[in-house]
Amino acid sequence: MRRVIILILLLLLMRLILPLGIEEGGPQSLLAFGFLILAAYSVGELAKQFGLPKVVGYLVAGLFFGPSVLAIVSEQVSEELAPVGNLAIALIAFLAGAELRWAEVKENGTKILKILGSELSISFVGIVTLLVVLRAFVPFLEDTTLVQALALAALFASIAIVHSPAVTLALLTETGARGPVARTTLGVVLVADVAVILLFSGALAGARAVAPAPGSAYTLSFGLVTWEILGSILVGAALGGVIALYLRFVQRELVMFAIVVAFFGAEIAELAHVETLLTLLTAGFVTENVSRGDAGEQLRRAMERSSAPVFVVFFALAGAKIAVVQVAALWYVVLPIVAVRALGIRYGTTIGARWAGATPKEEKHVWMGLISQAGVAIGLASVVAEAYPQRGPIIRDVMLAVIAINETMGPILFRQALVRSGEVDPRPQSELTRGTPGEGPGEGPGEAPGEAPGEAPDAA
Amino acid sequence: MSAALTLVLIVAVAYLATHLAFDWIARRLLIVSGAEYLVLGILLGPQVSGILTGDTLDSFAPFTTLALGWIGAIVGMQFFLPNLVRIRGIVFRLAFVEAILTLTFVGGLLTVAMAWMLDMSYVQAAFPGLAMGAIATVSAPTGIQVVASRIGRRHPVVHQLEVTSALDAAVAIAAIGILLCIGHPSPIGIARPLTSTEWAVVTLGIGVIGGVLFHLFLGEERDIDRLFISLAGAIILTSGAAAYLSLSPLLPALIVGAVLVNTSDNREEIERTLLTAERPFYFVLLIFAGATWEPSLRSWALPVLLFLAARGVGKIGGARLATRFSDEKEALGLDWGRALLGQGGLAIAIGLDYLQHGRLAVPNLVFTAAVASVLLTDLSSARLVRSVVMPFVTRDMGPEIARTLAEPGRKEADAPATDGDVASPDPSPDPTLEATTGAAPDDATGGNR
Repeated sequence: MRRVIILILLLLLMRLILPLGIEEGGPQSLLAFGFLILAAYSVGELAKQFGLPKVVGYLVAGLFFGPSVLAIVSEQVSEELAPVGNLAIALIAFLAGAELRWAEVKENGTKILKILGSELSISFVGIVTLLVVLRAFVPFLEDTTLVQALALAALFASIAIVHSPAVTLALLTETGARGPVARTTLGVVLVADVAVILLFSGALAGARAVAPAPGSAYTLSFGLVTWEILGSILVGAALGGVIALYLRFVQRELVMFAIVVAFFGAEIAELAHVETLLTLLTAGFVTENVSRGDAGEQLRRAMERSSAPVFVVFFALAGAKIAVVQVAALWYVVLPIVAVRALGIRYGTTIGARWAGATPKEEKHVWMGLISQAGVAIGLASVVAEAYPQRGPIIRDVMLAVIAINETMGPILFRQALVRSGEVDPRPQSELTRGTPGEGPGEGPGEAPGEAPGEAPDAA
Repeated sequence: MSAALTLVLIVAVAYLATHLAFDWIARRLLIVSGAEYLVLGILLGPQVSGILTGDTLDSFAPFTTLALGWIGAIVGMQFFLPNLVRIRGIVFRLAFVEAILTLTFVGGLLTVAMAWMLDMSYVQAAFPGLAMGAIATVSAPTGIQVVASRIGRRHPVVHQLEVTSALDAAVAIAAIGILLCIGHPSPIGIARPLTSTEWAVVTLGIGVIGGVLFHLFLGEERDIDRLFISLAGAIILTSGAAAYLSLSPLLPALIVGAVLVNTSDNREEIERTLLTAERPFYFVLLIFAGATWEPSLRSWALPVLLFLAARGVGKIGGARLATRFSDEKEALGLDWGRALLGQGGLAIAIGLDYLQHGRLAVPNLVFTAAVASVLLTDLSSARLVRSVVMPFVTRDMGPEIARTLAEPGRKEADAPATDGDVASPDPSPDPTLEATTGAAPDDATGGNR
């Protein structure tokens, strides 16, 4: 109840302040940023009371307060807050890389590759087939030849198969799950990023070749793609080495250092024309595996702490981008795509898991952790919108509609997977708090089993 | 290389270099400084190298606003009422008289002088004059903390200086907050323009409602991560609201800090969480302040020199005058105002706050005065405090103990035992006003407010 009162008070405060703004006053972005942190955080806490992942709460808050519904956060403010998204993606990638241990990669690498190869190819083929079959009803495939339709469908599918490291990592940190289902899902999601970036680059090059956008000056070469991938690994490894040196010889002010690392890594990646996600992911991996003692772990905790408000706003902004009207208008295309993607992931993962000899729990539950989509998919959809000025925005809108459903359903499904596989306590937060006297919120066994207090910030 | 990347690199290198040497320098040489970041900002800014362009600075403006809010909240956290009521009334009276005398003397003198020198009306000149008065009122607590960490925090002079420094900060922030309400333009599209009083109510309202709201929000929360999210949101929202309405972010944030410290059971955790991020914000503020600095287009040298002289007279004279008519001459002497001459981040923050509201007269001149004062006094602030305090320590504790305590690197915990509690380590780690005015002694090299 307290959270609801807070939300009402926050809304009233915003309603009072916004009309008093003057022309020469400061930008609204800082005000909206603060509002989003508190409002989304409150909704996240409410969601948790109902046994839902907090990420869903943040997304719903963004949707509710965003341009589609209450418009407290306008589109312009969303644009102004775009750097928060970039910083969040950099932090997510670094944290994701830091979750990977070399020993685990050696042990589970083959299994992850088999599951990934199977689920990605089945989903990809399924979506391409669906789009080509339905091309008369798909807005961005109108007036195309079969070859062009195939190329554009492949481009769309290369984005549609993307998973969400952000949501996966957020859920794992929130729940503290570290069992086989959690780790295999995380492994698949992380490696999928590399694979999808490769596939997307190839699909874009192919689409440009057979269905070029009028007046486009975009060029893509094999060399560029190779550099984007290899360069990311090189730059990321170098960055990780430097961070490991810092952790060995200085090891102070880790919270501030964590933010600098993410910001610096993202800037370096942009300058070197390499992939930001892959660069930071490699940097996180190298840092975690090269650092001595628990230095890498300490940095990871510091980063989780400093990134918590950033993540809350990142997911809320992702929610704010969901265009309710567009989702509703394109339901006849969007729903089949969502269904085919989910089926492709479901059966692809099962086949891959059997092929890899995974445990029955992994075979049964890992697919549920692969449904989520968020920042990376939105980013790639935006790239297409820029590359194709006419068809691109339609592709982006359809994609956003697909993402809207997946990013809402995904976290719920993933949490269910973790609960069913016994890696997370199924009781809702309120019950946990009642059932364990002396434990405050966030310290209960279902909150973060096996983790020290402070290891699981709310947002991340 | 992009400006943002350059900035990150320079800040990181400067931070590391300074940080590694900072504790040593502060303890050994009694130098507590943030001036190097200010100079670094000037060197990076459009006036010198141009690495940070005007556009880059504009894009980072929200960070500056946030830093202002964060500093305001930390100042507000000092005012924990149960501790305040335990302080003797005379200590407050002396502090308050010194603050008001400095504010009115410097503000009045500069108003008249600028009206005459810059050919402005008295009303026009009153805005920069009073802003300079507010800047003059601020005294850096860090020098006091460094000395307090050596000789004991409960010595009457040190205690007086701590209380005065905190009250100076509150008076200065209130002054700049109200000043920006008086010179506030009207919003577009509302039925009638708001009066200055109404803007002042809005400023206070943002602070009070914000504080109460965040008290509800924080509840009994003690987890440091959740506290960080909530506090970050609270201060960002408060500062953002003030900046959006073209008001001072310092005053509402101060009120939020004061409300939180007085209504929350977890005030120590809140204080600790705030202090965690103080230093980064302080450095960001100084660098951007330096980069934003522009030599005033009006003839600035004379008003700035007059400001520096008037501030010295105001501080020393104000303290002297206040003490002369009290019974504290024996305990404090007449020269304790000299220990308040050091200026740090808060002076820059107030100058920057005024500068960000470009509609008011001679913003660059006001800001230049703040920068000049910090550059002039920052390095010597701890030495000034020591020069005032040591004669009393020698008198009360004997020359041998005084010499031991004055040794470089010596902290109060290392001091020999004495009969009284003059040099004894503070038994309570309480970070609020009663014990100290900001960071704990061991963290005296912190924000240098």
